[in-house]
Parts: sequence; C-alpha cells; structure tokens
Amino acid sequence: MNPVNYLYLSALLFTIGAAGVLLRRNAIVVFMCVELMLNACNLAFVTFGRMHDNLDGQIIAFFTMVVAACEVVVGLSIIIAIFRSRRSASVDDASLMKW
Amino acid sequence: MSMSTAATATLAVTKVDAPTIEYGKLSPILIIAGVAVVGVLIEAFLPRPARYRAQLTVALVGMIAAFGAVVWLARDLPDDHRGSVTAMGAVAVDGPSLFLQGTLLLIGIASVLLIGERRLEPAGGDAFAPQAAAAPGSQQEKDAAAAGWTQTEVYPLTMFSLVGMLLFPAANDLLMMFVALEILSLPLYLLCGLARRHRLLSQEAALKYFLLGAFSSAFFLFGVAMLYGYSGSVSLDKIGVASAGAMDNDALLLIGLAMVAVGLLFKVGAVPFHSWTPDVYQGAPTPITGFMAAATKVAAFGAMMRFFYVALPGMRWDWRPVMIGVAIVTMVAGAIIAITQTDVKRLLAYSSIAHAGFILTGMIAMSDAGVSSTMFYLVAYGFVTLGAFAVVTLVRDARGEATHLSHWAGLGRRSPLVAGVFALFLLAFAGIPLTSGFSGKFAVFQAAARGGAGSLVVVGVLCSAVAAFFYVRVIVLMFFSEPKVDGPTVVVPSVMTTAAIALGVAVTVVLGILPQPVLDLADKAALFVH
Amino acid sequence: MNLYAPILVLGGIALAFGVVSLVMGALTGPKRYNRAKLEAYECGIEPTPQPIGGGRFPVKYYLTAMLFIVFDIEIVFLYPWAVYFDSLGMFGLVEMAMFVAAVFVAYAYLWRRGGLEWD
Repeated sequence: MNPVNYLYLSALLFTIGAAGVLLRRNAIVVFMCVELMLNACNLAFVTFGRMHDNLDGQIIAFFTMVVAACEVVVGLSIIIAIFRSRRSASVDDASLMKW
Repeated sequence: MSMSTAATATLAVTKVDAPTIEYGKLSPILIIAGVAVVGVLIEAFLPRPARYRAQLTVALVGMIAAFGAVVWLARDLPDDHRGSVTAMGAVAVDGPSLFLQGTLLLIGIASVLLIGERRLEPAGGDAFAPQAAAAPGSQQEKDAAAAGWTQTEVYPLTMFSLVGMLLFPAANDLLMMFVALEILSLPLYLLCGLARRHRLLSQEAALKYFLLGAFSSAFFLFGVAMLYGYSGSVSLDKIGVASAGAMDNDALLLIGLAMVAVGLLFKVGAVPFHSWTPDVYQGAPTPITGFMAAATKVAAFGAMMRFFYVALPGMRWDWRPVMIGVAIVTMVAGAIIAITQTDVKRLLAYSSIAHAGFILTGMIAMSDAGVSSTMFYLVAYGFVTLGAFAVVTLVRDARGEATHLSHWAGLGRRSPLVAGVFALFLLAFAGIPLTSGFSGKFAVFQAAARGGAGSLVVVGVLCSAVAAFFYVRVIVLMFFSEPKVDGPTVVVPSVMTTAAIALGVAVTVVLGILPQPVLDLADKAALFVH
Repeated sequence: MNLYAPILVLGGIALAFGVVSLVMGALTGPKRYNRAKLEAYECGIEPTPQPIGGGRFPVKYYLTAMLFIVFDIEIVFLYPWAVYFDSLGMFGLVEMAMFVAAVFVAYAYLWRRGGLEWD
C-alpha cells in the first residue's frame, strides 16, 4: 500500500483536531483535540520514517508519546482546578480578562 | 542519531555503536537539572519549615555554579569562536548558546530572588497560593492560609522550566528543540495558576496559556514532521543542506517551515499569535510574570534564530518577507493597543509584544550583526522587564497589588525612589538615550538597515515614537498628578527584591552609558556552529 | 526451534508465577466473606448507582490514572534499550540508571506527599 495514504490520513486527523480546538467549548474536549493533533504528528513521523527507510521517525514518536502524557497530567490538573472553583469546564466561562 | 543503522534489524539484533556524550559541555544544563531533582527530593523528605531556606539556597548556588560553567565553556571556545556540537549533534555549544545561557541564568537568579520574597504580604507568606489544590474561597484554603502554609514547589518548577530554557536555544535538532520547548512550557503553565491573590484570574491565565500553548506546540510538532519528511532527518544541519538547493516549491519544506515558525512565534508572543500574552501576564503571580516575560523571550528568540540561520538560510527569500510582515504587524499592534490599557501588567504585556517586534527586526537582518544585536537587545530587554515587574510587586493596597493605572497617580510624591526607578525602566522601554533600550534599538535597527530591511526600520522608529507616548503618560501620571486619598502604599521589601531591582537598574544604566563591552561580547558570540 | 526456546521458558515462568501466586494466596490468606466480597465485581467501584447523567467519579480515580500513565509511559524508553543492551554497554547502563533514578525521585515525592493514599 502506498504510504502517502497515511500522510493524507495524518493531515486529516490534524485538521480535525485543529478544528475541534477552535470549535468546541468544553476544555477537556478541546484538550482531547490537541492530543489528536499530536497523534496525527506521530502518524506522520512513522510514515516518513518508513518512506526514508530509517528509524528516526519511530524514535521521535516515542518522545512525542511521553511529552503528550506529561501534557495530559499538567493540563488535566489545571482543568480540574478551574472546574473546582467554577463548577464549569467551559472555555467560554473563562472570560474574566478581556483586551 | 545512529538509529538508522538499525533499520534493517529484524529478529536478530544488529550491533549499534554506543553514542558519546560530552557531559562537561552540557554541564550548565545538567547542573540546573540536578538542582531541580534535588528540589523535588527536598520537597519529599525535609519537614515543611526547613524547605524554604533549603530550596532557596540550592537554587541560587546551583544557578551561580551553572553560570560559572558557562563562563568556563566560553573561555574554552576556539579562537574563531565557532563552537562544537555534542550529544550526537543534538546540542550545540557555540557562541549564541553560551551567551544566551549566561543571560538566562542571570535572569533566573534575579527571578528566584523575586519568587523568594516573603515580606510583601501583610499576613505573611509569598506571592503563591498556600494550597493550590483547594478551591478559591473554600474552608480548606482558609485553613491552609491560617496555618501559614507556603508552597515551595515553585522552586523546582522554576528550575525545570529553566532547564528547558537553557536547552531551547542550544538545541541543534528539532526533536531536542521540541522536548526543550515542552520542558520550558509545562512548569510555566502550572506556575501561572498559583497566585495567592485573585486566584480565579490566575487559574484562568493558566488555562488559557495551557490550551493555546499545547495547540501551538502541536503545530510546531507537525512542522517538524514535515521537515523530517522533506529531508529525512531532524538535524538542523541536515535540513540546512537539504533545503539549500531547493529551487522548486517543495510543499513539505514550505509547510514545515511555516508550522515550526508558528510554534516559535507563539512562544515569543508575536502578532497574530499574541492573544494569550496580556491575559497570562495579568493573571500570573507577578514574580512569575517577570520570569516568564524575560526568560521565555530570550530562550525562544535564541531557538528561532538558530532555526532560521542554521536550518533554512537557503530559504530566506521565502521566509523573510513573511517575517518582515509579522514584525511590522507586531510592532504596530503592540504599540497601539498598549495606549488603551488601564492595567499596569497588561500595559507591560502589550509593551512586551511591541518589543518582540523590535527583536524580530534584528533577527531578520540575516547577518552576524543581526545575531549580535538581537542578543544584546535580549539582555537589555530581559533585565528591564524583570525590574519593571519587580516594582509592580511593591505597590500594594488592601487587596494585594494595585495594578490599575489610576492607583499609580501621584506615586512619585509618595515614594519618589520607587517611582523614579519605574520611570527609568519605562524610559528604557521607550528607548530614550542613556538607557539600555536605546543601545538595543539602535543596534537592531542598524543591523536591519544594513541587511536591506529599510522599511522595517522606518516602521520601527515610528512605533517607538508611539510607544514612547504611553510610557511617558505613565511617568506624567506618577509625578504630576495628585495622589488619591485611599491610594496604594509602597511596601518596603526584603534585601532579595531590592537586589533584583538593583540588578535591573544597574544593567539598564550600564548598557545605556557603556554598551560597548557587552556589544563586543555579543559580536564575538554571534557565530552559529554548522 | 532454538530461537523460540527462551520464549517458551518465559511463558513457563509466567505460568508458574501465576499458579504459585494463586495457590499461595489461597493457602496463606485469611478467608473472611462479607457482602462486598460477594458482589459481582470487586475492583473498587460499586456496580450501582452508576455515575451516568450528572453523577461524577471522585477525583482520586483521576489522580491514580494519571500517576499510572506517567510511570507507565517511561517503559517505552526501556524497551529499545533492553533490545540493544549488549552493544550499548556501560554507557547505556549509566544513562538508564540516571533515567530510572529521575523517575524514582518523582515516585519518592509522590509517596512522601501522600499521593498513593486512597483516603
């Protein structure tokens, strides 16, 4: 199978993630969309690694996974803190500061 | 990386050569990483009352030692001032790395002094929430405050962030750059949400910074993937070689370039990726704002220069017009929106956006003079910013820091010294002669003009004039209007904040009157290793 | 066939470990039956009432899950190292020791600050 198809899939996933970040209102869903974008990057790395016939792409995917896990922990702790004080995880409610 | 030799490995294990790492050349980074780990151990094993002193000592001693290591490495640089790469080409130890690492460590020392200040809150404690996990206004929080708890985790978090900052401008491959970016950012997201006063604002700042930061780093990573796809490597040198002869418009290269640039421009707060800056600067605890504003810019501009100068010099005709546009929009938007601000911290935030534009002007010159003037500007800007935010922590009323501009009216009559120092910093921001701001602006505009970006210089000078208007307006407000009856008071800080402000004043004045030694140093340090 | 012998041995060891654990547990552990023990599932969550539509899980589940992910993901670096353990030699061992030490520092912090206590 032509590996380019995986690149199309990766670009599609990245776009879906980016659109989700911009359109969704719940902070947790927004955050999941960011994770989807990171996974799209991983797919691209692995595919390019296959196309160039070297393993760098797969190694990079490992690092991305770890970074994504750390980001999850930090991000969810912030979202939980804000949910506890406001009883809402909507990004629209976080609007005390403007301009 | 030697991983490619393993590409043909199936079940049978092929031999790989163990990589070599010259630990000595990484010593500044390793020392700070060690300090951060020791900080975590202090949190785990020391009793609560002993932690503050231990954390402060370890952090300060570690940063001074790391600064010594930077000086030692800089003396070891060969005569042509070209450095070397270490850790299998992942980290560059050259002039720009060491210059910026030294700057970052000095900013780090001053920031930790600000973070450690405990004399400003009337009820005791520092600028951070006694228990960040407790909901604002809850009984749990009141109990923690009554018990006099303080969170000393801020020190290891700051050190971890500093590790990422030291690594970011030195990263010589894009994977290292991405990891450094995340090490830099993740602790900062948390630190933003830890303010003792105005906790809802602080948490909101953390949420906004985190969501937008994660979004932008995803763009950065996708850009890295595209560049890897284009060149078959994430090493900046190899991308540089591959892109040098790119005549046809290769989509992968252009997309990768654009997306990595988005990630980097977000970190420096350039328009149109600036929208987080004012909210985060306003909501974060002020010592953290100072650290973030000064140090993140230094680290991110270092990384950006290395990316454009080492990996994509052959693509300059593609990226330079776009970056010139970004620089112009950044300067104009920063200067104009700042005029309408009524909050000191937001004013400084928009001023930092405008300054990002000025610094971009130096980078776009695409010459050694461009690199050295940018680095000089970063030193000047970093210490002025830190000093200005340090002054903001001192002006307080019953509800904490009085950041609304109307509260600052007549401050010069109540406390001429503090108002005078703040006025000095504002003049440096405006770029008035005999301050570091003037030397820095002169250097970057000169480099840009010689690099053939005359239009940029014209816009830059005009924006400086606009910016000078609102800085001077604050000075007039402080010195020539009547103080309010219930206005804020200036709290006398301990020796730590005083030392940080004094350092800011000293750098501002010295770089304004005698800039030549530092300019020479930056000139010598302006060569990236290839 | 020789190639797969280690896998068979490993499988044997795993099987033996499982059997020994179960038998030892049955022989040495106390046997106290109560209502909770006789429920269909015994993994910490009561089967009813289920937190669907408004109800929420306590935050401590989140905490445990996060801790699990952070420590679990470190394994991805141990696998490639284990494969090339021989040729990486002393260098690999020292690097891995540093890496594992850093993870254990985080673990020590967690344990000392009560992150592992359920209540």
